[in-house]
Amino acid sequence: MTPPVTAPPAVVRLNPVIAGSEVDSRDTAELTGVDGQVVAEVGLAPRLLAQAAVQRVRAHAGAPAPAAELFAAAGELFATAALDGESPAEYQRRVAAATGSPRAAVERATASIRAALARIEDLNSAELPAPFAEGGFARHWVPRGKVLAVVVPNNHPEPNVTWVRALSLGYSVLLRPGSKDPFTPRRLTAALLRAGLPPHRLAFLPGGHDLGDHLLDQADLGIVYGGPDAAARYGNRRDILVRGPGRSKALVDAASAAALPDSLTRWIADDGGVRCNNISAVLTSGDAGELADALARRLAALDVHPVTSAKALLPATTKTNAEALAPYLADLAAQGTDHSSALYPDGPLSVLPDTSVVLRPLVISVDDPHHALLGTELPFPFVVVAPWREEHGTAPLRDSLVVSLNGRHTRLAEELLREPSVRKVTTGDVRPWLSRPELPHDGSLAGFLLEPKALIHAT
Amino acid sequence: MTALLPHAPLSPLGTDADTHLRQTLRWHFGAATGSPFWLRTAPALGFDPVRDIRTLADLRRFPDLSDQLRTVAVEDLIPAGHTGPPFEVFESGGTLGAPKRVVDSASRGLNVDWVSTVLDAHGFPATGNWLHVGPTGPHVVGRTIRQLAQSRGGVAFTVDFDPRWVKRLLGSGRTDLAGEYRSYLLDQVELIVQSQDIKVLFITPPVLEALVARPELYERLAAGLEGIVWAGTSISAESLRQLEETFFPRARIAAIYGNTLMGIAPQRPRQDGDVHPAVFRPFFPQSVVELVDGPGGAPVAYGERGQVLVHLLSRDMFLPNVLERDTAIRVRPAPGDTVDGLADIAPLPSQGGTRVIEGVY
Repeated sequence: MTPPVTAPPAVVRLNPVIAGSEVDSRDTAELTGVDGQVVAEVGLAPRLLAQAAVQRVRAHAGAPAPAAELFAAAGELFATAALDGESPAEYQRRVAAATGSPRAAVERATASIRAALARIEDLNSAELPAPFAEGGFARHWVPRGKVLAVVVPNNHPEPNVTWVRALSLGYSVLLRPGSKDPFTPRRLTAALLRAGLPPHRLAFLPGGHDLGDHLLDQADLGIVYGGPDAAARYGNRRDILVRGPGRSKALVDAASAAALPDSLTRWIADDGGVRCNNISAVLTSGDAGELADALARRLAALDVHPVTSAKALLPATTKTNAEALAPYLADLAAQGTDHSSALYPDGPLSVLPDTSVVLRPLVISVDDPHHALLGTELPFPFVVVAPWREEHGTAPLRDSLVVSLNGRHTRLAEELLREPSVRKVTTGDVRPWLSRPELPHDGSLAGFLLEPKALIHAT
Repeated sequence: MTALLPHAPLSPLGTDADTHLRQTLRWHFGAATGSPFWLRTAPALGFDPVRDIRTLADLRRFPDLSDQLRTVAVEDLIPAGHTGPPFEVFESGGTLGAPKRVVDSASRGLNVDWVSTVLDAHGFPATGNWLHVGPTGPHVVGRTIRQLAQSRGGVAFTVDFDPRWVKRLLGSGRTDLAGEYRSYLLDQVELIVQSQDIKVLFITPPVLEALVARPELYERLAAGLEGIVWAGTSISAESLRQLEETFFPRARIAAIYGNTLMGIAPQRPRQDGDVHPAVFRPFFPQSVVELVDGPGGAPVAYGERGQVLVHLLSRDMFLPNVLERDTAIRVRPAPGDTVDGLADIAPLPSQGGTRVIEGVY
């Protein structure tokens, strides 16, 4: 069966935006999609252009934050309007084609961004103590800098909410978009400007890693999304908040393993496995091999479609990347027992007629909960299943954005909440990314960006 | 900066290339005038340089002996017939191992005098002090910039810069320390700029970028600067535009391409229809530059990228057929000129494999 091929989106030109104006940069790079077709021509901001932006943004920084209504309006425009001639559907197709994330995941992310921007005040106030003001004494939470640099990721559009929140907390923002998804921050920039954001509060600056480093040096504070390299590089700096790998895990007992395979499959594979809170390790007090087999069978049933199709469930990459990935995956699989590959007659990397390569789920089991493979996170449904017994305690669950506890293990919840390297705990049949605006995702953004100051006046 | 400037002066040595070539060979291979280095090498060449090398194309028959410059006694490089000003020795950056040494008395000075006339054509200020933020010590550029400043009625302030140390830091991944060194250089620039009147700045693009990121230093320097010469590394088209239009709109900006073995090739003034923002023109025929298709390869076509092959034909030193690590795009001679231009200089691409990145970001 040949999956239907959708027409590629038109090639778009994305330029740096400084203080509300596009700069038609002479430095350009082509952004090719997973099918090898050009999706966009990107005007790059070399360091000197970025420096021009830094100076303009800084010259106007420090004004009070725009009203919450502006962000709600921007979220509405982002999700529904034609911006710079781009419809929401074109935007979603471009992100899917360029990043290899399934299109439906980008559609859901669009809705989530709209919802978050509509409640931006709730998101911010939930992270701060109740206001204090009594007589002439008042506590104010104010920005601890004026200019924030943000290195935005490619894997999923939702982390862009972070820098929009920074604007709503009074910061001016220098953005270095991801190399594969400049579309989301560019579209949000357009939406915010149209909604009335003062133009000099924001600069959109596509460029390489060097540019990110330069912006982080020039700004008062920085936020970096990145892998282990970024965490190692910036993790110790008080002025930089690192949002690193998710390494989300589930601990299930034998009964839950039998009752929850559909849920576990979704936690591993929803949004194509590209979320930082997709489960990438499952520990079980039941039979690890049996659970791995069950998960591998269910995950292998996910159909293969081009990522720009509405039916796409799995992510894709380019032919070149896939060729580099194949030996790496074979090496990973050889470190444990591969439960998936035998289920794919043509191998786990599925080449489509458009030359894109769909990354099919991979389930590997190991016999030690401290095995080095646990904590490996890959941009497609990838999970390592390992045995767990009482005496192992919470140690194998450390360094996790989310830990899902199921069955008799739910009693570990409080212990894990007190574990600093675990950022969120769920129990029972709950999606790892289920949340409410009142709840933190990975600590407190407002706590990083703001600090309390006293204002005392004679009454 | 769209106004067209006059052509740079041509034919700097006043002789045609083949006459210059034959004079150079007779000098360096003459029993009474030649250097020990060439006189002892000649019998093993398999041809007679004076009789058999008639045109520039024949220079390709020479082997590339530049590796020997790492170890040969410099006295052996000095032509016996020399009677002019004393010789000095200069060294290459040592990027690929031990540095290569060259000797020079007055020949490179001719190159520098000509560059000064090219800067006139660019509209550089006729007088004023220079600030040289670049290598001095064993590197020839230090003497070059001093000579340019002096011949243009000023002095050159220098901030000493050791490129080999920077290369070692970058080569071993110590980028933080390299950044600290750059800051240290800028601290010294600041001390000069606070009290001295600087009209022309010589600097590398990365250090200039770092300078621009120091607002007070940048503003003080930009207020008085009338010319910037950049060299040493490439710069992107947009970066150059930012320098010209955003950061230093009052200054003339020109680049120099050069290396220890060849000498210096200044950027020629822009011409109508130029595709490349900076086209470099060598000091022909003292420096002959070809762009070739790899070792032993033929010249590339106009508009194509080739590897830089240089022949140094000066009275002080003869060094043919040296394949450099750089590549450039071959540009047709400017109107009225006969010498090819070089554009978009870049290092040879290194062989890199694809690295698989773990993680979802």
